[in-house]
Formats: sequence, structure tokens, C-alpha cells
Amino acid sequence: MNNMNDFISHEVLKASWIHSTCGIVAIDVSGNVSSANPAFASCTDIEINTVIGMSEADFNHTLLNAQVLDFRRVELLVDGFRAIYQIRLDSGSISQISPTAKLSHVAELLREPLASIYGFTELLLTQNYDEDTRIGLTTALFEQVEVMSNLINEQLDVRKVNY
Amino acid sequence: MKKVLIVDDQPTMRQIMRLALWSKFEIQEAGDAYTANELIKVSRPDAIVLDVMMPGDMDGYQLCERIKKDPELASIYIVLVAACGQVEDQEKGMALGANAYFVKPFSPLELMCHLTSAMLIDAPG
Repeated sequence: MNNMNDFISHEVLKASWIHSTCGIVAIDVSGNVSSANPAFASCTDIEINTVIGMSEADFNHTLLNAQVLDFRRVELLVDGFRAIYQIRLDSGSISQISPTAKLSHVAELLREPLASIYGFTELLLTQNYDEDTRIGLTTALFEQVEVMSNLINEQLDVRKVNY
Repeated sequence: MKKVLIVDDQPTMRQIMRLALWSKFEIQEAGDAYTANELIKVSRPDAIVLDVMMPGDMDGYQLCERIKKDPELASIYIVLVAACGQVEDQEKGMALGANAYFVKPFSPLELMCHLTSAMLIDAPG
């Protein structure tokens, strides 16, 4: 920590992590679960030590099996993290949600990576970028395809979810 | 050059919108509504592209409502962008004072054209 702002920021983040009523799970740059805050267990009834080290796809699968539907993936590109998951205390279960609400929720989840895929593709097709920029955008596009693929595999597997 | 503030918690979406808009507008960015709210007071953007669903205590709807209720900020042109495509979601956004509502996925170039047109019409000079 170099200055007081760093110290405050660190302490605020630490307090938020520990005392939040929202379950928070961090995914590291290699795509594995690196940590979960105390509220995660109470939000999901999943023991924290069972998800640490798990791949993101397996973690998604675990949430689905535990019937945890009300979560949000927030992408990060800093500090050694790829993303965090936020899970609400009253996250509810699939069985308690109407089929229409389920489909609406899945549609919203899919729209996020689809928006990035649409945007990157349109820019690549219509703008003249240098080679480095083009490679960077193509890489980002590929990553969003992976995110979307994971979502489809986990959220729209009819063997697991009975619409 | 008109100033546009892009507010979205997803870095990839901010990157896409920045790439689409940078040649026409001066771009500022915020990753959450709280940061955006502070930035707006200082920089007074001409337009805001505002994601509806964001982590934290304030979402895009709440920030939109706060801006439109402030007489000093109400003239800022607000485009809400959202993964919520239901008619009632759009109606809620427009009722809170948003000037436009884009449902994800949307064309970033269409957003650029929309803002270019809106800035000429609604904020001459």
C-alpha cells in the first residue's frame, strides 16, 4: 500500500467482502474459482471449500444443481481476476420461478455476451483497424463466444431444466 | 466536441461503445452508477449512455431518475441500454425521463448515428 487512498480502498473492499449480505465469488485469470465471501454459503447452501479451485463452467453447473438462479456475472479485467459472481440472499430456486420468468432471465443472461459479439463483429466488419487492434478485438470476441457457449450449456440444458 | 459519458459495468461493452463513438464525441467512462454520478457533477456531459443493470446500490434507472429530477442536469440526453427487452422495462425507462432505450444486443454504429442526430437536434452548438 503506497498511500492512504490505497489503505482506505483496501479496508473498504475487505469490509465489503466480509460483511456483504450478497454472496460474492471471484474467478481468477485462469478461469477458476479463487475465493468466496462468507455470505456465499448462506445464500446458496453450498460449502465454500467445495467450490474453491473449481472451473467457471463447473461452478455454473454447481449453482444450477443447487437451484441458484438469481446471480450475476460481472466481468473484470484487472488485478488478476477474470470475473466475480454476485448472488443475492433471496436468490430463490428454479422450481419457485415461473417458466416465463425463467426464459426471461436466461434471455437477459444471453443478451450480455451477445451484445459484445454483435458489437465487436460490426466494428471489425466496418472499421479499418491496425493489426494489433484487430487481433485484440478478435480475441475479445472469442472470449465472449466462450462465455455465451458456457451460458447455453449450463442454462439451456433441457436435461437439467424442465421448461 | 460534445461529451458522452459511457456507464457500464462490463469493460467489453464500454470498449465497444468507445470504439464506435470516439471519432464523433469526447468520451468519458464509468463502471458503476455511483462513480458516474460523481463524474456528471464535475464534467457535465452532453449525453450519457447508461446501462440499466449494474452492481451496487444504484442501478441505471435510479441514476436516470436522479439526473432528470435535477434541474441543472435534466437537459442531459440519456440513452438507456439494457438486456431487459420487455415492453414494461422500456416504458419504465422512458417514464423516468430517458430519451432513448436500446435493447442488447444493439448495433454500436446505430447508437453512434442516433447520438449524432440527437446532439444536433437537441443540443445545438
